Amino acid sequence: MSHVQLSSSALERLVARRTFPLHRRTSVCRNLFGPVDHDERSRDVKAKLREIIERDRQRWNFNFETNTPMDGDYEWEEVPADKTPAFYQETVKRSPSSDSADPESPAAEALERLAAPESSSGGGAPSPAEVNQENRVDKLNSRTLRPAPCVKRRRTDNTYITDFYVKRKRAGDSRKPTDTSVSCHLSKSPIPAERTPRKRIR
Amino acid sequence: MAHCTSLQYEPVAEIGGGAYGTVYKARDTESGKFVALKNVRVQTDQNGLPVSTVREVALLRRLEQFDHPNLVRLMDVCATQRSDQETKVTLVFEHVDQDLKTYLDRAPAPGLSPDRVKDLMRQLLCGLAFLHSNHVMHRDLKPENILVTSQGQVKLADFGLAKIYSCHMALTPVVVTLWYRPPEVLLQSTYATPVDIWSTGCIFAEMFRRKPLFCGESEMDQLGKIFEVIGLPPEEEWPAGVTVTRKNFAPVKSRPITDFVPEINEQGAKLLLQMLTFDPLKRISALNALDHPYFHDEETSTLTNSSSQAVEKCSRK
Repeated sequence: MSHVQLSSSALERLVARRTFPLHRRTSVCRNLFGPVDHDERSRDVKAKLREIIERDRQRWNFNFETNTPMDGDYEWEEVPADKTPAFYQETVKRSPSSDSADPESPAAEALERLAAPESSSGGGAPSPAEVNQENRVDKLNSRTLRPAPCVKRRRTDNTYITDFYVKRKRAGDSRKPTDTSVSCHLSKSPIPAERTPRKRIR
Repeated sequence: MAHCTSLQYEPVAEIGGGAYGTVYKARDTESGKFVALKNVRVQTDQNGLPVSTVREVALLRRLEQFDHPNLVRLMDVCATQRSDQETKVTLVFEHVDQDLKTYLDRAPAPGLSPDRVKDLMRQLLCGLAFLHSNHVMHRDLKPENILVTSQGQVKLADFGLAKIYSCHMALTPVVVTLWYRPPEVLLQSTYATPVDIWSTGCIFAEMFRRKPLFCGESEMDQLGKIFEVIGLPPEEEWPAGVTVTRKNFAPVKSRPITDFVPEINEQGAKLLLQMLTFDPLKRISALNALDHPYFHDEETSTLTNSSSQAVEKCSRK
């Protein structure tokens, strides 16, 4: 739907990029890495896939392709589905096209949010109701956003050097030096969690 | 044993009428722990796995890194292509013997003790607060999706796969339940994380009652049953732009919640009402619920070690 807004030249570029390198459409296209051997790449990908499947099979001594256990560290047993929590039972996911058309699954836009909480537009041309929904959702979420330490802690996977600057600056602040990061963040609760200290310092 | 069963499995799954499938579980002979496989058959096109599925799996793995005590462990994700139209994604989860549904069914006669209910509720809210703070809604919280270990530890399951599970095409003849759905979902209005709090409220009541609180047979019936307890909400709280109007329902007044959950104590009843609030914006959040006086009572001091650690971990994150 968003494609509608693209100018014709942008569209052309898009098409060109998709079909590249088979049909070079614009003069902007450059073959930066030499010709691609599609057969070779396909073989490489397939080999990699086999490697992954083989690794999974070894790790769990279970053949996921045939759904059969093998000998190894894991002692497999097959149990009737009604003898285990229903959660473990097999499910089917329908194709994405039928998914989005399904009125029973308002999950589509929820998922967009879920996958990319910072981006507010769920995709598609928004009707007024949808816009309203996005606004409301943000408002609703702001309550649960309050535990900023959560978000902050997530960052520790990926520590930035500026994280340490923030600490130093905070110590120099008029704030009590004994403040734990938790109370610190709670006291700033109206600030959305997305606005990290890293950004504020700049 | 297994070679013939794989042949058997597919037809059973495809017919889906009446017969139950099977689940593979295994004991790790080194650690003694159990794992179980959950298969998700994903329909694909020439582009392979849908991006949404890849995202969901990535999200699950990211959440897993926190090792939250109240979420079911996801050990691995293995994908195998079945055909051009289908890829099988196998999720390797820790295996927990029972869910809250069987746990409640098996509880001896007088039901769970108030302390037990409180402990379970605290752990449930703790897991939920974690999910919500990571922008994940569960959307389908019900006793079947809440696992309880033999040590009484609560582990939420079935979250983060909204799209995968949204169609509810379990291959066994499981009827999609409306009983834990909040009014805004039943009315097809907008919704967000408060949906899970509504479901939690229903489950809270069920822990005392040992039977569901609202057993509707259709969306309208479900709403009617809800209003019989909480009363018909005022006009100004009715969501705008929904097709079902307020006039469709009898103007019933709210009844004391203790009429329906007589075993609950005073603070518990207050918390329950804050969870079963019609307006999602006025409904209590998971984090605030954990801070409710219900959890401050003296009887809380008998917390099990595991759950107090869980709470600690929860508040640290």
